[in-house]
Amino acid sequence: MTRNPTLIFVLVAAAVVVLAAGPLFLPPFYVRVGQLMLYSAGLGLAWAILGGLAGYVSFGHAAFIGVGAFTAGLVEGQLTGLPPLLLLPVGLLAGAGCCGILAALIAYPILRLRGTFFAIAMLGVSHVCAELTNNIDFFQGSMGLNFPPIAPSGMDPANFFYELYLAAALFILLISWLVRRSRFGAGLLSIREDEDTARMLGVPTERYKRLAFVLSAVLTGVMGVIYAHSLGYITTDSVYRDDTNLSLIVYSLLGGMGTLFGPVIGAFLLVFVTQVILGRLLDFHLFATGLVLVVLVLAAPGGVAGLLKKRKGTAA
Amino acid sequence: MSLLTVERLSKNFRGLAAISDVSFAIEDGSITSIIGPNGAGKSTMFNLITGYLPLTAGEIRFKDRRITGMATNRIAELGIARAFQIARPFRDLSVFENVRIGALFGKAGPRDVAATTHLAMELASIASLAEQPASSLTVGQLRHLEVARAIATRADLLLADEPCAGLNPTETAAMIDVLRQVRSNGVTVVLVEHDMPSVMEVSDRVLVLDAGRLIADGSPKQVANDPKVIAAYLGTPDAS
Repeated sequence: MTRNPTLIFVLVAAAVVVLAAGPLFLPPFYVRVGQLMLYSAGLGLAWAILGGLAGYVSFGHAAFIGVGAFTAGLVEGQLTGLPPLLLLPVGLLAGAGCCGILAALIAYPILRLRGTFFAIAMLGVSHVCAELTNNIDFFQGSMGLNFPPIAPSGMDPANFFYELYLAAALFILLISWLVRRSRFGAGLLSIREDEDTARMLGVPTERYKRLAFVLSAVLTGVMGVIYAHSLGYITTDSVYRDDTNLSLIVYSLLGGMGTLFGPVIGAFLLVFVTQVILGRLLDFHLFATGLVLVVLVLAAPGGVAGLLKKRKGTAA
Repeated sequence: MSLLTVERLSKNFRGLAAISDVSFAIEDGSITSIIGPNGAGKSTMFNLITGYLPLTAGEIRFKDRRITGMATNRIAELGIARAFQIARPFRDLSVFENVRIGALFGKAGPRDVAATTHLAMELASIASLAEQPASSLTVGQLRHLEVARAIATRADLLLADEPCAGLNPTETAAMIDVLRQVRSNGVTVVLVEHDMPSVMEVSDRVLVLDAGRLIADGSPKQVANDPKVIAAYLGTPDAS
């Protein structure tokens, strides 16, 4: 380990201060872009606990965005008397909790699948959840759900959600960091590398996979609940999105699969490219995401982190 | 005391009997080799002991505890580790990180991880490779890594599947040395091995399997002169 942890900590702290101060000097358009970057980074980090560390690449994590969002919306709809600032914690608890329960329920069958089979099964889960939300009246997926405004009066809602996304992304970053340096994280890594060998060495692979899956789902749900509030009104299509399913994989690929900061770097880069550089070309961003994916797989399978490592390797 | 007892063990793959009614006991602190022609059931025996495959009939006891039907990772926690014939390193990780996974799990548990990792690398004489990525190792070094990672779990029993296969004479001698080191550190060793000179040199005892049956059991010398063993390897004269 040549990397200096103190230096990294100082860099992260500095970046957080700059990011937190962002809304003070950024024009409104860039506050919106910043929101999207932080939202995506948080999702990417949550996805990577399962996909990057344990190597179980999910192609359906939008399921947990949707389940989190709709659960929060339905629960908060019953509690209209509550002060707005209490609604968010209740919604977060309900939404993330429901994601955790769903993940725990489907973990046993779905984690028996490996590689592509797991990825496609998760895509199926995402679509099934979307269809159910759309077609069962109780969920109000086709009609849409309203979320009460929760931003404190006197604060620009755009800035409020920007800071909220930042806090949530930081929280997920902290959890990812803790997981990586724990025995649990080492076990997940060994599962990614060779699951049978890991089990032979005493790694409780089944339990660890399930735990990583539930943790990843809960954290994705947290992001989903905040996202729904920032939109104010959601339908099935606004949360169960296949472009999100795809982007979550691309974030890690772009930034560096299996690295701590990979999903953050990837999310920032991809959002910047699709929203700012290609901002005027409506709906072109899905094509751009696909193009980035193809180029990455062909040219830089290690992502940005892989390229940096390679350069360091050749320099040394 | 017997560390491992195998009683009337059988394993059928559909109609094929890979192991039939095999019983033996492994003494604590010994080095035992299991030999036999290809397809005799040697690797299947390891797969059954580690719980990687379910057995058809019989019982396996480890430290007087029934381990039949236990999950592989539970068996590893009790103290049985395995080194694969075709090395299966965690390729993206360094040698140190590979061995550390063994030290974090298995019987060792999360205590003294760094010390256990270093000791295991020393014993397997790969300490100098600690920072190398596992993907850069030679076949011989990978075998040493397999052994290091297995004993880092602080196992009491090491199952080594053909640790000398495909190694040149120098590498073979180094591996034999490592196995002796491991044993003198209190780990009981069971080998599956084809390389007869190594088997004769290192083993206290040799078990011979042929077509899933145990046909001989004794010191290397006894077994080498056993007519049944010679017949299994060379065929009986005038079989036609």
